[in-house]
Amino acid sequence: MGFKKLVLGLSMLFALTGAALADESFPQKAVSMVVVWPAGGGHDIAARLVAEHAAEYLGQPIMINNVTGAAGSNGMRHVANADPDGYTVGLMGMHALVQSYMNPNAPSLDKFDPLAFLAFEPGSLQVRADSGIDSIEEYVEQLSRDPGSIVHGNDALGGNTFVYTTLLEKYFDVELTRVPYAGHAPNTGALVSGEITSAAMPIPQIVQHYQSGTVKVLGVMSEERNYMLPDVPTFREQGYDLVSGDYFIFFTPKGVPAEVRAKLEDAFLKAMDAPELRERAAVIGIEVQPGGQERAATVLKEQDALIYPVLLAEGMVHESLVK
Amino acid sequence: MVINEFLTALLAILGSPQAVMLVLIAVALGIILGAVPGISTTMAIAVLLPITFGMEMEMAILFLLGVFIASVYGGSISAILINIPGTPAAMVTQLDGYPMAQRGQGGQALKLALYASTVGGLFGILLLIGVSPLMAAAANMMQSAEFAAIAILGLVMLAFASSTSPVRGVMVGLIGILCGMVGFDTMTDIPRFDYSVPALQGGVDVVAMMLGIFGLAEVMKNLSGASNPDFQRPVIGNAVLSLASIFKRWGSMLRGSVIGAIIGCVPAVGSAIAVSVAYAQEVRLARDKSAFGSGEPRGVVAPEAANSSSIGGSLVPMMTLGIPGDTITAVLMGALLMHGLRPGPLLYVNNPEFFASVYAALFIGVMATLVVGLLLVRAVVRIMGIPPRILLVAIAVLCVVGAFAIRNSISDIYVMIFFGCVGYLLHLLRLPAAPLAFGLILGPILEENLGRALLLSRGAWSVFLDRPISLAILVLTLVVLLLPVLSGLWRRLKRPQLAGAAE
Repeated sequence: MGFKKLVLGLSMLFALTGAALADESFPQKAVSMVVVWPAGGGHDIAARLVAEHAAEYLGQPIMINNVTGAAGSNGMRHVANADPDGYTVGLMGMHALVQSYMNPNAPSLDKFDPLAFLAFEPGSLQVRADSGIDSIEEYVEQLSRDPGSIVHGNDALGGNTFVYTTLLEKYFDVELTRVPYAGHAPNTGALVSGEITSAAMPIPQIVQHYQSGTVKVLGVMSEERNYMLPDVPTFREQGYDLVSGDYFIFFTPKGVPAEVRAKLEDAFLKAMDAPELRERAAVIGIEVQPGGQERAATVLKEQDALIYPVLLAEGMVHESLVK
Repeated sequence: MVINEFLTALLAILGSPQAVMLVLIAVALGIILGAVPGISTTMAIAVLLPITFGMEMEMAILFLLGVFIASVYGGSISAILINIPGTPAAMVTQLDGYPMAQRGQGGQALKLALYASTVGGLFGILLLIGVSPLMAAAANMMQSAEFAAIAILGLVMLAFASSTSPVRGVMVGLIGILCGMVGFDTMTDIPRFDYSVPALQGGVDVVAMMLGIFGLAEVMKNLSGASNPDFQRPVIGNAVLSLASIFKRWGSMLRGSVIGAIIGCVPAVGSAIAVSVAYAQEVRLARDKSAFGSGEPRGVVAPEAANSSSIGGSLVPMMTLGIPGDTITAVLMGALLMHGLRPGPLLYVNNPEFFASVYAALFIGVMATLVVGLLLVRAVVRIMGIPPRILLVAIAVLCVVGAFAIRNSISDIYVMIFFGCVGYLLHLLRLPAAPLAFGLILGPILEENLGRALLLSRGAWSVFLDRPISLAILVLTLVVLLLPVLSGLWRRLKRPQLAGAAE
């Protein structure tokens, strides 16, 4: 009798989890990967690279969908509103965290589940080679002697180089003359043309200007030296405990069945482990450090703890979003 | 030496049937996508980008540049035939192209645009091969003050590029500038004019606006019968163009090419300003100004030469400095990165043969566009045989699909419909619509760079006069502005004398 009941119970359980069983067949169609920045940018090519390789392991194509605008919030909202069936995946960086505090219209990060971690992208501090500044020490010294004497370009409020610059000013207790640029390309242009003297750009943007001698990199804000600039010491090596960077995290909307997420995670991890992907990513400027759901979630939590106080102190957190 | 490498690369492409086939396919796709309203050059390249992942790098460059060049020409097809610019760079072409088509000279307008694009494209490449280091140096001298000055020049030129009175053009242009302020401010990231509507935070997209004021408004005009009781089917007419009639426009072609090549180097605004400057220049030089806006061939030739010759220039900052000036070159740079090549100052030193292959790809792309374009003119004749009612529905559908495809958001469709009504209203008020879109493109550039230049100069307006290039551009702007007034005065002073002499 007990056995019969068990069978009955089990079959009912299976009937209830029919949806989950259907997921066995995931993926049945192409997966859409939402990139919140325009085609051709760093996020876009990173996403395309991983999508191309992950599609092989997933058995279905992964289509890139650039949903841009409002500092990335349009795309984040697009994923938040998507059906949680695993067919919509997104790629986010620091922007999503910052916007979730600055912009009441940006979706909160509770609406998402991190899926996989691709890489960190450290910030760095550059000056023009003709500035006469050779070290972080000299840089700070000049600013303490004459506050605001260095004209420094960064993103608009909330962008990653804006955050690096704010951290830099706080750490050294100095004041720069900060000039905003709409993105890394015009910011690099201004550094090369001499409109600004210093910047806090990610390394891929400036590596060739460093190698050709136009730009000096004073320090990298990572724990270890960057592979693109092996001769440039980190801030830590120079005695300053300043570590900051952007990151690439794949995510799904909340509520995607665990089995589906596991399949996606598996495909992404395999893709990121492929040597060919690592080689191609290295050209783009990404040092792949693959991680699964747990790692992605941990990084996101750490970054939240790191960034929120900075935003709060700067008065950048919207009144309705203060924790 | 450059020429040698260029010829080697050229022969390498021509020697491979596969490569030639690839270019022809790229160019045909480029013309068609460029002609579809709502698919801008940027989108055409982005859509076709994944196809190139499996190709060798040289082939990928050949393919993408072919699409780039061809879509710039393709934009003029819809501008001429249905009064909707296929790409933003074709916005000026329609001012005279569409009236030409209505007069039954659509085929001639298409061919003139094609020849002008070819001449312009070749001129741009010539300049790229000859003086690209010089162009790179010039592009590198541009700072915020110069960008602001160029935006002002563009806005002033806009006044001349409108068929009705310049004052009306400027008024509409100013409204366009206001539209450009909607959404997150690029400098401060503060949302403006968004009324807490999330959809407005991303700002007004220029393609969505263009589809509205040109596309949907055109459909509404025809439905209401406001413009003409029965829809005039665009007429291809006799597409045969005598050599003489091409050579007659050589002046306009060359002027357009020179303007396009120079202004094309300016990041972000290149082609949009180049076409309006080229058009205004033709209007200014013409003896009979009234012909413009009602089907003057020179009004088609000059901007088409300009937008094609700006292609060469726009590649300069991306290839030599690794700094893409606009969304098109940003996508191209992404493609190069995907293929393991990082553009930047070291690329020329380490990889000179890459530059030669780009020049060769551009050259082949221009020539292939000419060939395929000529073949397509005939096909277009057939498409235009579609009954007008169906054509109008098709245009409306394309507007909706195109608006959605910009960034995959429904809200852009609403924006498109809103501007469709605005466009119809402008038509009823007899106000030109094109300045609205120009204002939207140039406004944010002006605002951002004006603000930044003043921030850098700590509020001193003299920064625009202290910097020689910015001063030169502003003086040029002033001359352009005052010239009609001065020449009018001159004529008035002269007339009594002439009258006296006659007696």
